[in-house]
Amino acid sequence: MQGCNGPGSCVKGVATVLLAGLLLWGTTGCSSGDPSAEATGGPAAGSDGEVELTGTITVSAASSLSEAFADLAAEFSRLHPGVEAVTNFGSSARLAAQVRGGAPADLVAFADLASVQVLAEAGLVDTDGEPFATNELVIVTKPGNPLGIDSPAALAGATDAIVSLCAAEAPCGIYSAELLERAGVSIASDRVTRAQNATATLGAVSEGDADAAIVYRTDAMAAGDRVEVIEVTPGDSPTAEYVIAAVSGSANEPAARAFIDFVLSDRGRAVLAEAGFGPPS
Amino acid sequence: MTSSTLLRRRPLTALLAAFAVAFFAIPLLALLVRAPWSSLPENLGTAEARDALRLSLVTSCSAAALSVVFGLPLAWCLARVEFPGRSLVRGLVLLPLVLPPVVGGVALLGAFSRQGLVGARLYDLFGFQLTFTTAGAVMAETFVALPFFVITVEAGLRSMDRRTEEIAATLGADPRTVFRRVTLPAIAPSLVAGTVLAWARALGEFGATVTFAGNIVGRTQTLPLAVYLQLESNPEVAVALSLVLMVVSLVVIVALRDRWLVSS
Repeated sequence: MQGCNGPGSCVKGVATVLLAGLLLWGTTGCSSGDPSAEATGGPAAGSDGEVELTGTITVSAASSLSEAFADLAAEFSRLHPGVEAVTNFGSSARLAAQVRGGAPADLVAFADLASVQVLAEAGLVDTDGEPFATNELVIVTKPGNPLGIDSPAALAGATDAIVSLCAAEAPCGIYSAELLERAGVSIASDRVTRAQNATATLGAVSEGDADAAIVYRTDAMAAGDRVEVIEVTPGDSPTAEYVIAAVSGSANEPAARAFIDFVLSDRGRAVLAEAGFGPPS
Repeated sequence: MTSSTLLRRRPLTALLAAFAVAFFAIPLLALLVRAPWSSLPENLGTAEARDALRLSLVTSCSAAALSVVFGLPLAWCLARVEFPGRSLVRGLVLLPLVLPPVVGGVALLGAFSRQGLVGARLYDLFGFQLTFTTAGAVMAETFVALPFFVITVEAGLRSMDRRTEEIAATLGADPRTVFRRVTLPAIAPSLVAGTVLAWARALGEFGATVTFAGNIVGRTQTLPLAVYLQLESNPEVAVALSLVLMVVSLVVIVALRDRWLVSS
C-alpha cells in the first residue's frame, strides 16, 4: 500500500483502471460484432453473389484437419471479407464434449460419425452431418525405419519400441484400435503412450522419442521426411469418415452454412485432396 | 477494522474482495458438488486410478527428494557465496517458475531426448533413454519443483541470524558441524516448507511431464495426466482423481499456513 497516497486511493485507482478497461473492451467488442459498423455496402465478393455475410464464426474441427481447414478458413475469409472464421482444433471427442458443455461453436467438422451423434442426441445439431472427406491410417516410424517395422504385427512384436497412439476415445484412437484388431495383434500397454489428439500422436514420433505411431495418412504426409510412412495392407485400415454440421442456435447461421457449402464445393474438395484426404464415400 | 465497518466505509473494497473469493470458491464447490461420492471408492479403485495414484506418489516423492539433494547446496551457494553471475544463476533457477511447463518439456526434449544435446550422448554411450520412462517423469517434475525449494530455503538462509554460525565457528566447530548443528536447525521451517511446496508442485505437474515423458499407463501417466485423459472416457474417475489432488493441496496449504505462508 506504500505506493498509494491516502486511504482508499489504491482501490479507487484499480477500480478506475478496471472500469476503463471494461468500457474499452465494450466499444471494441461492438465495432467488430456489429455488422453495420464494418460493412461498407455493395454485394460481397463471394462467388454466390448473395447477401453479404458478416461477423465471426467459430469452426471446431478435428486436429487432423488443422492444416487443410486453416487454409480453407483463410480462403473463405478472402471470399467473404466481412466474416472472420476462427478455428479451434482438437480431438473430435473432446470438441464434442466442449460443445455439449456450452463452448461456442457455429459448426463442427469431426473425424467420425459418433462425435456428431453425441451432439445430435443433445439436440445441438439437427443432422447426422454432411460427409466431406475420408482418411486412412498408416504406421509411421523414425526416418529410415531403424527397427524395421513393416506391419501391425511387427509393431506389436517390437518389444522395445514405444508406440504412440491416440487417446482411446478420440476417433483416431478408435480407428487404430480397430486396425490392430483387424490385424489380430495387440500392443502391450506399458509401451503405449496416449496423446490427446491425432497431431500430438504424430508429434511423439516426429518431435519426440516414440519409435512408431499409428496416424492418419494426411498427418503423416504433412510431417514430410521427419517420419517414414509404412502402408498397412489395404482392408486392414478402417476408413475415417469426416462429417461437417452446423450447430443449432448458432448466432451466425448464414455464415456457418456458407462455410459448409464452401467445404463441400469443388474448391473445398481440391484443398482437401491436396492435403491427402479422400473423397467422401 | 471489523467487517461491518468495512462494508460501511469501503463497500467497493469489500465487493471486489468478495468477487475474488467467489472466483476461487465456486470452481472448488462445483468439483465437490459434481463428485460421485457414493461411487468414490470404486472409481479410485479402478486399475488406471490406482496406477496413477501409485505412480504419482513415487514420482512426486522422488522429485521432492532430488530437489532437496541438489537444491540445498544451490540455495546455500546463492545465499552465502559471492560469485560472478550470481543473479544470472538465480534468474536461471527461477525461470521454471514462470515458464509454461509445456515449454519446459520441449526444452527437456531438446536436451535429453535421444536426439538431444546430452541425451544423444547418453543413448550412444550407455543405451540410456529418459523419455517415456518413469525417470523421465521424475526429471520433468523436478524441473518445475526445484525452484520452489531453492527460493524457500534461500530466503530461510538469508533471514536466519548468522551470528550463531559465527559463534559456533569461534568456539571451534568446523564448517560441516556448524552447518549440521546450527544452520540446519535454524532453517528447519524453510526446509520443511520448501520440500512440501516442491512435492506439491511435482504432484500437480502436467505439461512438462506429458511433453517429455509421454503418457504411458503405469510408467508415466501421473494423476494430472490421468485426469486429463479420463475426462471423456471416464469423467467420474477424472472427478474422483481431481478430488484427491484437491484434498492433498488443501492439506498442504493448511499444514504450511503457520510455518511459512503467514510468518514471512
